[in-house]
Amino acid sequence: MAEREAAGRRPWSLHHGNAVLLLPPGLFLLAFFFWPLLRVALRSVTEPALGLENYARVFGPGPYVRVLWQTVETAGFVTVLCLLLAYPLAYAVSRAEGTRLRLMMIFVLIPLWTSVVIRSYGWMIVFQRQGVLNDVLLSLGLTGTRLTLLPGSLAVHAGMVHIMLPFMILPLVASMRGIDHSLLRAADVLGAPPYRRFLEVFLPLSLPGVSAGVALVFMTSLGFFITPALLGGPQLMMAAVLIEEKANIELDWPLASALATTLLLITTALYLVYLRLTRGRAPLLGR
Amino acid sequence: MAPLRLSRWTFGLFVVLCFAYLLLPSLIVVPMSFSSQSYLSFPPTGFSVRWYEGLAGNAAWRTAAANSFLIGIPAAAIAVALGTLAALAVERGALRWATIGVALIVAPMMLPHVILAIGLYPVLLDLGLLHGYVGAVIGHAVIGLPLVFVSVSAALRNYDPALELAAMTCGADRIRSFFHVTLPMIRMGVLGGGILAFATSFDELMLSLFLTNTGTRTLPRLIWEQLNDFLTPTIAAVATLIFAFSLLLLGALAVFGRGQRAMPASLALATAETAAHG
Amino acid sequence: MADPRTLEIVPDPRGAVAPASGAALRLEAVEKTYGGFKALARTDLEVRPGEFFGLIGPSGSGKSTLLGMIAGFVPPSSGRILLNGTDIVSLPPYRRNLGMVFQSYALFPHMTVAENIAFPLRMRKLSRDEIEARVHRMLDVVRLSGLGGRAPAQLSGGQQQRVALARAASYDPSLLLMDEPLGALDKNLREEMQYEIKRFHREIGATVLYVTHDQDEAATMSDRIAILNQGRIAQIGRPRELYEAPASAFVASFLGEANLFEVAAVSQSSPPRLRVETKDGLTLSANQAPRFEAGAVICVRPEAIQIAKSAGAAANALAGRIVDVVYTAGSLRYRVEVGGGRIVLVRRPLQRQSTVMDVGSEVYLTWDVADTILVPNS
Repeated sequence: MAEREAAGRRPWSLHHGNAVLLLPPGLFLLAFFFWPLLRVALRSVTEPALGLENYARVFGPGPYVRVLWQTVETAGFVTVLCLLLAYPLAYAVSRAEGTRLRLMMIFVLIPLWTSVVIRSYGWMIVFQRQGVLNDVLLSLGLTGTRLTLLPGSLAVHAGMVHIMLPFMILPLVASMRGIDHSLLRAADVLGAPPYRRFLEVFLPLSLPGVSAGVALVFMTSLGFFITPALLGGPQLMMAAVLIEEKANIELDWPLASALATTLLLITTALYLVYLRLTRGRAPLLGR
Repeated sequence: MAPLRLSRWTFGLFVVLCFAYLLLPSLIVVPMSFSSQSYLSFPPTGFSVRWYEGLAGNAAWRTAAANSFLIGIPAAAIAVALGTLAALAVERGALRWATIGVALIVAPMMLPHVILAIGLYPVLLDLGLLHGYVGAVIGHAVIGLPLVFVSVSAALRNYDPALELAAMTCGADRIRSFFHVTLPMIRMGVLGGGILAFATSFDELMLSLFLTNTGTRTLPRLIWEQLNDFLTPTIAAVATLIFAFSLLLLGALAVFGRGQRAMPASLALATAETAAHG
Repeated sequence: MADPRTLEIVPDPRGAVAPASGAALRLEAVEKTYGGFKALARTDLEVRPGEFFGLIGPSGSGKSTLLGMIAGFVPPSSGRILLNGTDIVSLPPYRRNLGMVFQSYALFPHMTVAENIAFPLRMRKLSRDEIEARVHRMLDVVRLSGLGGRAPAQLSGGQQQRVALARAASYDPSLLLMDEPLGALDKNLREEMQYEIKRFHREIGATVLYVTHDQDEAATMSDRIAILNQGRIAQIGRPRELYEAPASAFVASFLGEANLFEVAAVSQSSPPRLRVETKDGLTLSANQAPRFEAGAVICVRPEAIQIAKSAGAAANALAGRIVDVVYTAGSLRYRVEVGGGRIVLVRRPLQRQSTVMDVGSEVYLTWDVADTILVPNS
């Protein structure tokens, strides 16, 4: 009886009260994700004094704008390289079946599951003066003396592309496997030569995977830390490395906050573009 | 016919080279760890397990390994509880702002960790949690939550919502229909998400750099500190052990993920999304 | 009567599924709008105890909304839903004591067949012996004895459907809702299951509300049918009533096949007969009917029309030419042009001695004056 009266005349609804479930995760993220981000932004304009002084340092003469620009440039370069390598690779994976498919997926997943620190360590072994690459180049006679590749941009790019490649491959495979093969057969029957079939049927249908992968790789690359810090050195400085150094070593928190806020705004803008492009149906989000 | 076969060969060679590139750095550390010399040269000369013996006798490595578990397990547990709640609310709640909600919940997966790290630092400092286990657990739970959310959402979408309605017409209230029907249906997604969250914490460096100290530092942080100082096969031995452990987790995920179509692509991707904050 | 305790489950002490007395269901001014969209206009409906009540309509007509509101999945925007006199609108599905069979069966894949049937009984905290006895009995009723240990996925579609029936009825709900339960089955199995469900209905005695988009299925199974169209009930009645006296052109064409003629003018010929001029320029003869007004439509069922070489003395006779003839199982379907491009559909049962008219034949279409059905244009 009591329950009935409590319910009153209001119709019972399946969805009533479901929003309450959002409360614990919502509050948690609010306290330990959104509030910290806001603190960073606030700190950048209030310390040491209220104003845009820190941004004047970031965008004024000095190395900071160059580092930000270099970050965007490197991320872009890595994204293009990833796309060029991943597209044919994803095509091969998407056409494979059975054991071959499983093996290929494992090959993609193993690096993904290897610690980034460890993989960067692996690249150090490859690129160092006494490393594997120099050995190979010497024995092939391609170089007379051992090259200093570490720190260097070649090592950073190789390491970053290596880390990001699976992220490009997976959405591409997902969208390529979703392509109805009868459409390709239809193009054949209708008289399209293979290259037209690819350009006019397969490529357009795989574009959602391309845009998801490109956005994902670019966004993630902007925040890279371990790889550029270990393999890059001062010539190839990236934003996250700079921010860590300013905060953790030089203890210049206001500048670190301004740099972080700038990086946050760039990433957020890209995230919004990505959400818009995929209309909230990003393959990444599984939606 | 000949040019076609040639291009097929080229394509096959390209694919093989790409996979070699993908596997190279993961696999190169394994033989290094059994080297008998103290400098890194490839291929290593001689065979010994002295680096592993050295590890076993080193208190710093043992503490760091223990810390990784002490932080990773509770962080994954919190991420599982909160991520599952969020997924239930979004997938079953018919919320008006669901799209925006998803974008916000998934955001920690997308943003560079360095921003979160320098933001959490003062927040945890104010709470007196900086450099302690609790603070590190909180930080790792934040980045693990979206992974669980994505994984459980995929599991929820993967089965017929009519099952929950059926449970209700059968007389099960919300709580009982969750525990008797919904949870058994999505348990693989929940477990998979938990493993992802743990693996992410286990591999996380940036938050650990800011939020832990020498007493609470995790394995990635200790490796990092050692890497900056000296390159010895000790690290290769640690790396090999972690690599083996990661493969174990991947295997567990593959077993739990069987029968879930959404698993391979979106999950692996989500996994790595955080892991990749290289 | 308003005591909600009447909705609580009273376990049958004998542990058997006794033929329950079905509940009376009443919808009073029930309405559902989503934003500005009216999914269901103000609706009143009464389903009698023990009745097998069909709910049909094209997709999007509101039948699923209506069923969802009764089950408790969709909150009505206004109105009352009375089960044995008690308003259940504010009760959650798990307190309504209804049984529901879903189109997808919605069998719990992680439970065996027996566990599925036992689930509602466990939720009602029946004793273990009691549950076992009832599951055993229900498996008997749906003729799946011995399959209790199987997983649902190991059963055929028809068997899964029977498990769903058994689960929905295991706790003697006074009202069973069925949402297109045979929609996923192929034709032959569907017909077999129609008889199975009817037998089941007789055995358990509950009131059944049966939603389908298949008019034949509804007509075969239901005591009464409500036809929904665009969010409102177009007509309620016994299948034969709906067929013989459709209340609108929509009902006439939705239930069975119909030749519809729009009425242009009406005049008295020899009373009680009417002379009707159609907009196609045809002249038809009909019985005087009270509900006949201007703007009405005339419906002639294809099977009421005969094909003859001469007009004879028939009340209605149209001269035409056969443009097409198709053989379908058991009958011949003719398309006959009767002038002005107007095509009339004729269906004749095919017997051994029947002669098939050739395409191009000049013929007369004749039918009894009683078969000229007047349909008010709503």
